[in-house]
Amino acid sequence: MKKIIALALALVMVFALAACGKDTKTSNVNSLAVCVGSEPDTIDPALNSAVDGATYLVHLFSGLAKWKMDDSGKFEIVPDAAKELVEGVKNEDGTVTYTYTLRDGLKWSDGKDVTAADFEFAWNRAASAELGADYGYMFEVVDGYNEISEADAEGNPVNPDAKLNVKAVDEKTLEVTLYNEVSYWDELLAFPVYFPVREDVVSNEAWATDPKTYVCNGAYTLSAWDHNSLITLKKNEHYVDNEEITMETLKFYLSDDANNQLSNFKNGEWQLIDDVPTNEISSLKTSNPDEFVVAGQIGTYYVCWNVNEDILPADLGLTGAEAEKARAEIRNATALLYDRNYIVDEIGQAGQVPASSFVAMGMTNPDGTEFYKTAGDSKDYDGYYDVSAEATTSNFDKAIEILKKYYKYDEASKKFTNFPTLTYLYNTNEGHKAIGEYLQSAMANIGITMNLENQEWNTFLQTRKNGDFSVARNGWLADYNDPICFLDMWVTASGNNDVQFGKGAHAGVKAYSLDLTKYGYDVKVENGTWAETYDVLISTIKSCTDNEKRYEMMHLAEDMLMSTGCIVPLYFYTDIYMISKTVDGFFSNPLGYKYFMYTTVK
Amino acid sequence: MNSKTLFYILKRIVLALVTVWIVITITFFVMRAIPGGPFLGEKAISASAQAALEKKYGLDKPLHEQYFTYLGDVVTKFDFGPSLKQRGRMVIDIIADGMKTSAKLGVISAVAALIVGVVLGAFAALRRNKLVDKVIMVITTAFVSMPSFIIGSLMLALFSVKLGLLPANGTTAAGLILPIITLALYPMSYITRLTRSSMLDVLGQDYIRTAKAKGVSGTKVIFGHALKNSLIPVITYFGPMLAYIVTGSLVVEQIYAVPGIGRAFVSSITNRDYPMIMGTTIVLATLIVIMNLVSDILYKVVDPRINLE
Repeated sequence: MKKIIALALALVMVFALAACGKDTKTSNVNSLAVCVGSEPDTIDPALNSAVDGATYLVHLFSGLAKWKMDDSGKFEIVPDAAKELVEGVKNEDGTVTYTYTLRDGLKWSDGKDVTAADFEFAWNRAASAELGADYGYMFEVVDGYNEISEADAEGNPVNPDAKLNVKAVDEKTLEVTLYNEVSYWDELLAFPVYFPVREDVVSNEAWATDPKTYVCNGAYTLSAWDHNSLITLKKNEHYVDNEEITMETLKFYLSDDANNQLSNFKNGEWQLIDDVPTNEISSLKTSNPDEFVVAGQIGTYYVCWNVNEDILPADLGLTGAEAEKARAEIRNATALLYDRNYIVDEIGQAGQVPASSFVAMGMTNPDGTEFYKTAGDSKDYDGYYDVSAEATTSNFDKAIEILKKYYKYDEASKKFTNFPTLTYLYNTNEGHKAIGEYLQSAMANIGITMNLENQEWNTFLQTRKNGDFSVARNGWLADYNDPICFLDMWVTASGNNDVQFGKGAHAGVKAYSLDLTKYGYDVKVENGTWAETYDVLISTIKSCTDNEKRYEMMHLAEDMLMSTGCIVPLYFYTDIYMISKTVDGFFSNPLGYKYFMYTTVK
Repeated sequence: MNSKTLFYILKRIVLALVTVWIVITITFFVMRAIPGGPFLGEKAISASAQAALEKKYGLDKPLHEQYFTYLGDVVTKFDFGPSLKQRGRMVIDIIADGMKTSAKLGVISAVAALIVGVVLGAFAALRRNKLVDKVIMVITTAFVSMPSFIIGSLMLALFSVKLGLLPANGTTAAGLILPIITLALYPMSYITRLTRSSMLDVLGQDYIRTAKAKGVSGTKVIFGHALKNSLIPVITYFGPMLAYIVTGSLVVEQIYAVPGIGRAFVSSITNRDYPMIMGTTIVLATLIVIMNLVSDILYKVVDPRINLE
């Protein structure tokens, strides 16, 4: 008997000893332990399309330009590998050429020189259909991209040998020609997909998965990658601004579990976490006010309608353009039923901002004012609806008045009786579900039945893309600070055109008008289709070199988009994270990339 | 080992191969029937990029052709192909990475469950209806009826968040302690109960009484006769236990963010990373099939009365 007890005790001791094994806390102030996401799909600058991936990449690579936060907390784009961010020179055919000179002393992490040819190679690689990079389209402004991306019906490239109009004139000079002047060009240069890579390095397809083959040119080198658990970056001795880098080692722990991240933050092991459990948000705001950060993020959470979903009562007898105009009015009326302040305060709880337009907060006009504040034509409020808490009742009344024009309203029960049943589709997630339930109750309140249906993420993407839904949850995050990235996704042929504008029955609906004569273009369409109006407008904007007109036309495009009622913005996204009080010198840019190179730990 | 046993083992191996082949076939076609695809994302890629990628990975060919190519690669070259999501990495490397952690987690859990379970079970049986026995039974009943995600979350909240004793993420050695305990509790409790009842059963047998009557010491009766014989049901539980540990690790690895094969499996499905889904399924299925085979053979070794046919 004693033996058994002894054995059991021994076991308990073994476990207890193992428990106090090695101490994992980072006591060394030369290193920072953070978590910005789980195992990244890739840290190849051309292939990455994730925000966490971009965070690793801005530490590992140095492009022609980079993001910087000045002392007042304002962001600017400053030269990095380039000596200066030059102005473009206009060519006779309207294209614009930029000539950059690389700084002296630029080296790869293996000691070789960084040359202009590395940029030329990297950009062509990233833009090629062959690589199939998510962000290949970020090169669409560069002359030659149209030839590269042109594909036949099967998707095979029409010009397999096409190249971008970018040339390494000599070792230090890079010349690039754009189709036309692009106001956000400098910002693109700071985007990871524009970072250089070396041909001999990336010829090994697995180069970006192993520290031994990972050659980069930024502030850090990839020192170790313990897949699924830890990425370690060490200061790059070959980096030209090596002395400005204050943090020796960065440890990026890989986790996608918000609860797990929070426990590691709370017990002091990690100094920054990029995710917190939604149900902890309100308590963290009060318990850790200095460490819980709500940062702006350029993105919109919205509801999208399928433009082809017929919601008119059968006995109305409207067809074609008239029917579409009626549907647009109805959809816009339902957008007034939702109390966005409730969604933000009670469900989101992460400092989101009620949205009254599709182009998100954070996008600016050329004069620096917020784009959304000058959207819409009302003088009383910003954007397309009044989303203030006081307007809830008047919005509701207005919606009822409009809907009464089309549906039978039972005054006694204050409900509509013949509104067709809808289905709201969202991807399986507690937060999306809560919002769906709120929307459902707001609709049920006036007699509209809206069933909820959730699908697993990948299935959901496919269903939404195919247009097999009536109403669906949607969201969009900007890639750069220019409203066009919210607007060009709605052209007929866009892969992100979930609303199905210009597709199916909507292809033949002549309900739209466009007049660009006052901007000096010979474009005037009355009662045209989506393709004849919106698509034309977007391509005109893309080739417009007058920034002021360009922005006016972008406002026009958003007006057109919002008039369809198919896009119902709910709130503007925010980026929440927690950073330890002991860390100084950290910043996060408007796209959500986190910068740790200039940090110090108290 | 006689020829009959050998023949039986051979037959079982052939059956095991057939089972794995059926699993491969079903998984391959079911997986491709799920809507969605590996190159879908919040932001759509261009049609030309989509086509280029499909061509690169052979997804543009007819499904049956892809199936035979895949089967051929796996059988002849043991080649599971590249991951579609983690560009540049081979499935076999990702699985090997995950396996290192999962194997550690699984083996330690299994061994701990066995040792602690048998000891506690025997102890409870010998102290039948005493306080210790009752306490052990209540605790093990609780653990048998509590799913691992509840135990896991509770332990995470208690030991890691509240008390700060152990790390919450399973990326370090210390971080594996909680996942191991979580994973081991259910089989441990089950084995405890199994050993207890089987031990009680054996202790009531005539030969035990005979042994005692002959004056054999208490320790010898317990270890030499009772315990050995009462372990037969425990060995039969070996196969199901490993199956539990393999499937249980899917949940436990998720809770503690353990970078194992279970997590890789779950995320490969959400990502529609086809070669990765196939690879992990084949590895896990093979593992379960082998374990069941081993436990059947062990069964025979422990109890020669059992006829394998």
